[in-house]
Amino acid sequence: MTRHILRLIWNKKRSNALLFLEIFFAFLILFAVFTIVTRYMRMYQSPLGFQTENIWIVHMNLNPVTDTTATQDMKVRLKQELKALPEVESASYSGFVTPISNSSWSTSSDDNGFEISTHMMYGDLDYMETMGINLVQGRWFNESDRDARYQPLIISKKLFDESFKGRNLTDSIYDINGEKRIVGVIDHFKYKGDFAEEVNLSFFYGEDKTLDLPNLHLRVAPGTPAAFEEEVNTLVADITKRNDFRIEHLQTTRESRARQVWIPIIALLSICGFLVINVSMGLFGILWYTISKRRSEIGLRRTLGASKSEITLQFVGEILVVCLGGIILGAIFAVQFPLLNVFPIESINYYLAMIFSAALILILVVSCAFYPSQQAARIHPALALHEE
Amino acid sequence: MILLKDVTKVYQTKTIETTALNNISLEVPTGEFLSIMGPSGCGKSTLLNIMGMIDEPTSGQVAIQGQAVSDYHTKAVARFRNEKLGFIFQSFHLINELPVIDNVELPLIYRRISGKKRREMAQTALEQVGLKNRMKHFPGQLSGGQKQRVAIARAIVGQPNIILADEPTGNLDSVMGNEIMEILLNLNKELGTTIVMVTHDETMARKTHRLVRLFDGSQVL
Ligand SMILES: Nc1ncnc2c1ncn2[C@@H]1O[C@H](COP(=O)(O)OP(=O)(O)OP(=O)(O)O)[C@@H](O)[C@H]1O
Ligand SMILES: [Mg+2]
Repeated sequence: MTRHILRLIWNKKRSNALLFLEIFFAFLILFAVFTIVTRYMRMYQSPLGFQTENIWIVHMNLNPVTDTTATQDMKVRLKQELKALPEVESASYSGFVTPISNSSWSTSSDDNGFEISTHMMYGDLDYMETMGINLVQGRWFNESDRDARYQPLIISKKLFDESFKGRNLTDSIYDINGEKRIVGVIDHFKYKGDFAEEVNLSFFYGEDKTLDLPNLHLRVAPGTPAAFEEEVNTLVADITKRNDFRIEHLQTTRESRARQVWIPIIALLSICGFLVINVSMGLFGILWYTISKRRSEIGLRRTLGASKSEITLQFVGEILVVCLGGIILGAIFAVQFPLLNVFPIESINYYLAMIFSAALILILVVSCAFYPSQQAARIHPALALHEE
Repeated sequence: MILLKDVTKVYQTKTIETTALNNISLEVPTGEFLSIMGPSGCGKSTLLNIMGMIDEPTSGQVAIQGQAVSDYHTKAVARFRNEKLGFIFQSFHLINELPVIDNVELPLIYRRISGKKRREMAQTALEQVGLKNRMKHFPGQLSGGQKQRVAIARAIVGQPNIILADEPTGNLDSVMGNEIMEILLNLNKELGTTIVMVTHDETMARKTHRLVRLFDGSQVL
């Protein structure tokens, strides 16, 4: 039966070519859409690694600094006074780079005899606590780091896995923007937001007074009313004697960032939906047409002893083989993307997209082919033969 | 042996009711070569279809080789047709996309015979109709007589006991018609195949054992 079907298909190359091409192109389009969607979905699924709920960030501008000591004192006082408020559970300073912002700072070097490439952030003693970061090894910064011979450094697990696996962390000094001692490894920290690849990351230590740490992170108690922002506002304005600061709600930023990605994803999926409907109607149409053209052949086969299920199987089989052909050719094209590394996207995204596209098309084909093929099997042999 | 008892076939369409067969009782003993004649529309094809179990009588009984047929839509009936019956049609009914040899193999596919064995059997059948050198041709590349010989090869490839032929020479000129008739006569004589043939040609009919005449759905002779 299989060989018989294959021969029939081969001898009807020309009429099958159209369906073949339709499936081929549909596969490629679905593949492209699914690659994008899979990539974003996988990013979205991987943990963010820090808290955004109830995190407020006071972005300050300290320049121009006329009196360094006074500004440093002001910073220390600001943190203390904010922390003293009952609504504030935790407060900490960070550098210019804050989570889910557009700024980033990175370095790479092979001064240590191996490649280290990392993004960098500044954090103070309380940063881990405020942001709810998970530690997997070692410790966060502590008081002993202030006067240490070497500046302390905390790296992310991703950086650890990439560059430090099997190396001695605690007793070695590495040159990463100056000589540093690695004191801890944190788990995930996708500082660019939900829809971003996790990058290698290192935290540099900064004190409360350090002017390079102008952004104050606050973790307020759950259920803190919006009116509390006014209170913070007044307090910051009073202590800093300035008005050019801004309070950011990290959760809001996170949501609006995500929305910017969701909208195009939904648009893409809708296009996909239309494509799928189109392809199904095409398939359905082709099948109805072929079957009406082949009524006498069906009558003949029934007369010669084919059972109904054999007729159904033949028609579903024929269309399935042609579609599989289209999918395979599509897959040969598609697999070039991961093989040739066309875009900086993890290969797994491509392979998943290929599987999704193939599965979707096959499900479509089988479900579209089944009904007409069953109708074909119902054709009355005497009638069908009579018609010609 | 084919046995029809009080077979009536009524075609019911929305507007009209046609009695294609009216109370036909007929017995075709094993090994007989029977021909059926009658004017167009008198019910010859209908009769043949009922004998071949591809059509269902409105009333009456049909028994083939001692087995009464009750349900026409079962797998068993399909299987019976496949193994015991051979069909030949006026318009050949070959599949144009398949080469001659594959057309001949068609009934064997539904019998789940291995590819190699199928090929052998089909070659033998084509040899019997003198078309061994046309195996790889497509139906479109054959003359009418050759096409009908392919159809005969397809009908005999499974070694059926009964062949039902609906105007097998109707689309052929007399030379080709005679060729086909010779093949059928030989099958009947040498293998003892029971043959029922519808024809418009008196001379053809006269070469068979018995002639049944139909008129307006009833047997007149
Ligand atoms: N499917 C059908 N629906 C309605 N009427 C039918 C159908 N098939 C046949 N008939 C009618 O039944 C009658 C017998 O038809 P049948 O095909 O058996 O005739 P026939 O003797 O074979 O004619 P011909 O010599 O032209 O082939 C005709 O009047 C025909 O119109
Ligand atoms: Mg007829």
